[in-house]
Amino acid sequence: MLLSAEGLGYTARGDTGPHVVLDRVSVALDSGEIVDVTGPSGAGKTTLLRALARLLPDVTGSLALSGRPAAEFAPPEWRRRVTLLPQTTALMPGTVRDNLLLPWSLKVRSGDRPPPDGSLEQALHDVGLAEIALTRDASRLSVGQAARVALLRVVLAAPAVLLLDEPEANLDDESAAQVAVLTERFAASGGAVVRVRHQRGGVAASRTLHLAGGHLTEVVR
Amino acid sequence: MNELAGGVIEIGWPQLLLSTGFVVVVGILSIRLSLGLERDLAIATVRTFLQLIALGIVLRWVFGIDSPWLVIAILVLMMAAAAQTIVKRAPDAPPGILGSSMITMLLTGFTVTFAVTGLIVQVEPWYRAQYVIPIAGMVLGNSMNGIALSLERTFADLDARVGQVLALTALGATPWEAAGDSVRIAIRAGLIPTINAMAAAGIVFIPGMMTGQVLAGADPLEAAYYQIVVMLMVAAATAFGSVLAVLLAYRRRFTADGVYLEKGYRAGKP
Repeated sequence: MLLSAEGLGYTARGDTGPHVVLDRVSVALDSGEIVDVTGPSGAGKTTLLRALARLLPDVTGSLALSGRPAAEFAPPEWRRRVTLLPQTTALMPGTVRDNLLLPWSLKVRSGDRPPPDGSLEQALHDVGLAEIALTRDASRLSVGQAARVALLRVVLAAPAVLLLDEPEANLDDESAAQVAVLTERFAASGGAVVRVRHQRGGVAASRTLHLAGGHLTEVVR
Repeated sequence: MNELAGGVIEIGWPQLLLSTGFVVVVGILSIRLSLGLERDLAIATVRTFLQLIALGIVLRWVFGIDSPWLVIAILVLMMAAAAQTIVKRAPDAPPGILGSSMITMLLTGFTVTFAVTGLIVQVEPWYRAQYVIPIAGMVLGNSMNGIALSLERTFADLDARVGQVLALTALGATPWEAAGDSVRIAIRAGLIPTINAMAAAGIVFIPGMMTGQVLAGADPLEAAYYQIVVMLMVAAATAFGSVLAVLLAYRRRFTADGVYLEKGYRAGKP
């Protein structure tokens, strides 16, 4: 078991009082798996991803990575291994290269060697961004290009688990297909992916889970 | 006019009343132009009278008593008032910054004030109220503005960069790594007015303390020396104070696990 979550609970402060978003949700992921999470909007799909990344305040329940409980990891160490790509693309001021190398500017990766330009260019090529130079200012990317750069930023950092919050939301079909291929390649190399998405073609998930009313259920096909 | 030996022309009640006349003219103007300022203007005028006369009476009393404890107590009170003002001016800051603002004002206020009175002006005895209190007043009053500005900017900028902060944290950034850009921008913003004031001093305006000393009959060059000391110490106090206040406060917007508290996750007001 790569990632396991037991009894995740989270209550949000809603407009009309407390509102249970996650009601003892449990999920387990093996390496190589791609798990899709579906559900009505507002059901808490993003909240679930944030809980798995330890980015949710006041969440209850327990998490473990490769059998080691979350408490054994400092939060930045956990997030380095279980990395969320937020739904809203947020690139930093600077060039595309600055953004792709951002993970290596952090203390949590201070011992690692950043990938060379050749790998970065290859990665851009793989998601249909071959025409984008590494020196391009990030603010001059289109919404769809920026979304793919943000995705590459987390994929290149090679976490164990990738949490993708609607990675294809701003993409045309062709770009979405490239993202799906990248996701599949990541899983094939031993990672696991949890993906929030609205139904769309492309790479099929290993499993699909449905989140509604605070409960996560397996969708049987 | 009553001219004193030192060349100071005294102001009495007739002069005070005359100056109030100008404010009355402004009040009439406000009514005629429907500016709606007359009430605030009247209150502000009354407050100016009461507060400054009270200050004069208190200072006269303090100068007469000549006690180090009294001087220290007054400084602490001034610092508490400054800390309170800072908190009020940064309404978006997380709760609980009063304590860190107080620590900031105490540390920078005492350090800079006594560095000036002890090392530069060399006041004897060290607690002489006539020097210590006005100098502390200038240090606190001016640095307070910069500190409040820095704090306000820190939290405003973090909220504006909330997407970047989340993306950074998700990649394993510590709160310092996630907030660093905002902290730097905010400290710069707090210092720029002070640096501008230093650059414009003597060309665009005659600084307040120098004006006061010249009016009180001091030699303009000597007054200039004093003013240089004051401007440099205000710059130092603003810089130290802003850095300290922001470093003590920014972490409060993150949980113990280093998660930035976005608006939806904050306790109290949504």
